Amino acid sequence: MRIPPFSSPGLLLAGAVTLTALALWLLLPRSSSTRAARGVGYVFGTVALVAFIMSGRRMGCIGDEVVFSIVSIVAVVSGAATILTRSPVYSAIWFALSLAGVSGVLLVLGAQFLGVATIVVYAGAILVMFLFVLMLAQPSGLAPYDRVSNEPFLSAVSGAVLLGLLSLVIGRMSLNENFSESSAFAGFVANNPALLERQLLQDDHVARLGSQMFGRHLVSVEVAGVLLLVSLIGSIAIVSRNTESQSKTLLRGGLRDE
Amino acid sequence: MLIPSITTLAALIKIGLLVGGLMTAAAYFVLLERWIAAWVQDRRGPNRVGIPLTNIRLFGLGQPFADGLKIILKEDFTPRHVDRVLYTAAPLLILAASLAIFAAIPFGSVLPPLGIPGLPDPISLLVAPSLDVGVLWVFALSSIAVYGVLLGGWASNNKYGFLGGLRSSAQLVAYEIPLGLGLLGVVLSSGSLKLDVIIHAQATTGIWNVVAQPLGFLVFVIASFAEAARLPFDLPEAEQELVGGYHTEYSGIRLLLFLVAEFLHMITASFLIVILFFGGWHLWGVTGAGSEITWIGAIVRFGIFSLKVFSVIVFFMLVRWSWPRFRFDQLMNLAWKVMLPLGLANLVVIATIEEFRPQLTGSLGEPFVSLVTLGAPWATFFLCWITAGLLSSSKPDNRPILTAGPLDIEQELVRGRR
Repeated sequence: MRIPPFSSPGLLLAGAVTLTALALWLLLPRSSSTRAARGVGYVFGTVALVAFIMSGRRMGCIGDEVVFSIVSIVAVVSGAATILTRSPVYSAIWFALSLAGVSGVLLVLGAQFLGVATIVVYAGAILVMFLFVLMLAQPSGLAPYDRVSNEPFLSAVSGAVLLGLLSLVIGRMSLNENFSESSAFAGFVANNPALLERQLLQDDHVARLGSQMFGRHLVSVEVAGVLLLVSLIGSIAIVSRNTESQSKTLLRGGLRDE
Repeated sequence: MLIPSITTLAALIKIGLLVGGLMTAAAYFVLLERWIAAWVQDRRGPNRVGIPLTNIRLFGLGQPFADGLKIILKEDFTPRHVDRVLYTAAPLLILAASLAIFAAIPFGSVLPPLGIPGLPDPISLLVAPSLDVGVLWVFALSSIAVYGVLLGGWASNNKYGFLGGLRSSAQLVAYEIPLGLGLLGVVLSSGSLKLDVIIHAQATTGIWNVVAQPLGFLVFVIASFAEAARLPFDLPEAEQELVGGYHTEYSGIRLLLFLVAEFLHMITASFLIVILFFGGWHLWGVTGAGSEITWIGAIVRFGIFSLKVFSVIVFFMLVRWSWPRFRFDQLMNLAWKVMLPLGLANLVVIATIEEFRPQLTGSLGEPFVSLVTLGAPWATFFLCWITAGLLSSSKPDNRPILTAGPLDIEQELVRGRR
């Protein structure tokens, strides 16, 4: 069954997108924003979230799973809070919470490796480094230009439109069998529950993932590794060129002695 | 919908047992730690508190209750200059993360079939038996613990607290790498990320990983000492010389949460050492290796597992009174220049052995294969030991060499030294 774009879920989605854009525009940190405007923004944001959920339910991509709903709402709300808060440290914390939500979604859906790897890689490694830098770079408050959003209107609109388009595509994929079979998504495992059960959710799916990564995609993995190594060496080279003597001291400290 | 299914109920019971057991164990391990400290320092230690309102002392077994009650009833003071939200969230976060780790850690083998309808038999003594990535789960949550430390230090808005938070999170991040490398060797040789499967692999071959991968064991144990912030690596706290650490500003129940989380990290580390390297519940000739067991077998396995964990914890406590604390640069040097290469060497050797094991078994006899697969790691172990010994200085004074830096104080320090 094929849905015309402006049937009920489509209309709902359009409304949700508009409301999201408005809410983001009202809530993004700016130099002058009144309490009333922010209140309206919060109301719009809540309504937009509800509208997104309702349209998702009508298109059949959101079911009744309680845990799934909770973790996905956590992910979305803390994702929004990441860009709406003024303090960079809080931003990072909200982002970490959003990642935890995403990882929860992945765990609920059965992609255990991806779920846990999200925490290990993003929350455990990258974000901790971010936090280090943010905490050290903020000794006595921030400059005003660090606290405000540069292009609140454009970024709100483009983000909301992107959100709407993605929701539409995913919603149609789950509604329309023909769409998924006829298009580039024909091989997409999630469209086929039997295939999903057989391939993704079986016991050794980590082993399968590993053999895919280091079999079929070996070259890309190696290239990514070399890239990271090069960037590491580059950063060390830049640091050591600036402070030759200091780095020598550091390298010679501890174990080796003169 | 609201009535939990029987599997959920079983999981809830396991969680309740585990959390209750861990909390009680943490309280009594504090008492044990004080007893061991007293024994090492040739004094009596806490032996007074028994049953309240009587004169029965019970060797001081009531001490944990008294300690807990005291710290809970203390004023839960929030200084005015702190960031209130994060100041409260940090201890909650670190405790939640260190408890959630145990979702993937088995605390025994399996129970024999109970015959409860709707419950898959045999019941494994593990909260999340279908979690396929147990090792990664442990790793992910122990990296979440860094947030508690970092946020606690930052939210305190105090320079001692903040520097302590930076110091200990740098330590935790640095030692995660050797920890992971030591762990990877075990994962490679047993071919699974599930901790119960890792135990099972050791039980079926009968060779514990401490014998098969001595270097990996060394790296893992040292890194887990650092991750648990136990002495020689207790720079995060260092109460004698560094004005505490990230929890300088904390008091009352929130301090208790931090301290319990730290203790739980040690218990986690002991569980992991036993599971990964000492065969979990397995003991030759006593427990057997299959998954079909009687009640006696299940209890024996649980007992052996607990005994092993207990011994490792006692080892942790004895080390505390045997080694002086590292200086921070020594700590970092050890992580990046000693532990990292050793971990990599171990990983390469184990990977090579695992890669060529089928070919070797095909072409040579079984005894020769076990000779090679045990001999190569031990040869690497001694080679690495000798190399590390040759490369490190034999001089006791290994303070960093100061050269004149841009600051006046540095110039003066250098002049003073010469």
